Amino acid sequence: MRKFAVYSFLFTAALSLSPAQTGTKPDFSGFWSAPRQAGAKYGGATVFMKDKMAAFKPGGEALFFEPRTGDPYHDEPRAFCFPSGFPSAFFAPYPIQIVQSRDYLVMVGEFQRATRLIPLDGRAHNPDIEPTYYGDSVGHWDGDTLVIDSTNFKRWSLDDYYYVNPKEYRMHSEAFHAIERLRRKDATTISYQFTVDDPKIFTAPWTEEFEMKLHPEWGKVGIYEFVCEENNRCPGGKCQTN
Amino acid sequence: MRIGSLVLLAAGVVLTVAPALAHHSFAAQFDDTKPVKMTGTVTKVEWSNPHIWFYIDVKDKDGKVTNWGFSGGPPGVMMRRGITRNSIKIGDVVVVDGFRAKDGSNNASSGTVTFTDGRKVFTAAAEDTVPSESK
Repeated sequence: MRKFAVYSFLFTAALSLSPAQTGTKPDFSGFWSAPRQAGAKYGGATVFMKDKMAAFKPGGEALFFEPRTGDPYHDEPRAFCFPSGFPSAFFAPYPIQIVQSRDYLVMVGEFQRATRLIPLDGRAHNPDIEPTYYGDSVGHWDGDTLVIDSTNFKRWSLDDYYYVNPKEYRMHSEAFHAIERLRRKDATTISYQFTVDDPKIFTAPWTEEFEMKLHPEWGKVGIYEFVCEENNRCPGGKCQTN
Repeated sequence: MRIGSLVLLAAGVVLTVAPALAHHSFAAQFDDTKPVKMTGTVTKVEWSNPHIWFYIDVKDKDGKVTNWGFSGGPPGVMMRRGITRNSIKIGDVVVVDGFRAKDGSNNASSGTVTFTDGRKVFTAAAEDTVPSESK
């Protein structure tokens, strides 16, 4: 009888585990805050810290800092509903939902409903696509750590620094190569390590650590729709008539 | 968090708010050197992306009425705070503070909306500017 109870318990426990948990792979599925520096309160946009960055290559600084021109299309294209891009959209202060299966990790950010579909089957990057705002991402497991490698970007905003300082816009080049390392730090925290490898701008790759915090309460309604074009009344500072 | 409990706070409770950070489109649309504070009657509420808008009729000292538009946060950000499309109703008399549109039109960002019974609703965009409560 006791043996039956033990088997019954193990069987029930196995059924309650997700496929990802049954192996050594952690399951990142859930609702998470955008990556932030450890200890930071959930809040404004996240930006890379300057003291983490590698030195600029000759000419790199000019590629990194995009001067303001006064043209709102150039100075803040997101005000016209242009995409925020990666990683900027995922550093905005909005929830991120992760859905994980054996073969894919899907990351949906509420800001602009930015979506990443990241294959986990070990495939290589697709060599035949045009550069994009969100790049081409492929994932693989390194023990309990999910490593996401992204390439093939347009030159676009690196992070959300404009949100913090509208006088500066920080860019990555089309040579930008991002490496994310996600690991479950504890039951409610993802350790999120981000490496910027941009050989046109920096002398070496550099890395910064962030955390994503679990917010199960956001799952009650899920990710809200964000259609920027719906009622963008003052694009570039020119408002529609009331 | 339900309307009537925390978001539309009981009269007498005072909210303190951190300075509203510029959100993604703020700097392109509004002038943070031109604060405005208006009292008027709500005429319309647009509960839509990328930011909610509500409109109030403002009467000047000569009795002339001007309609002003105020922009808030995205609907999703508002709703996670417990603020819904019914939090601000047509006909409500409100005091709104914010910053005027760069084009000089009768539009502005909104920070705090205060109702005649003292209730306050924080309508600015950034998640980190959720009000802290104090008595």
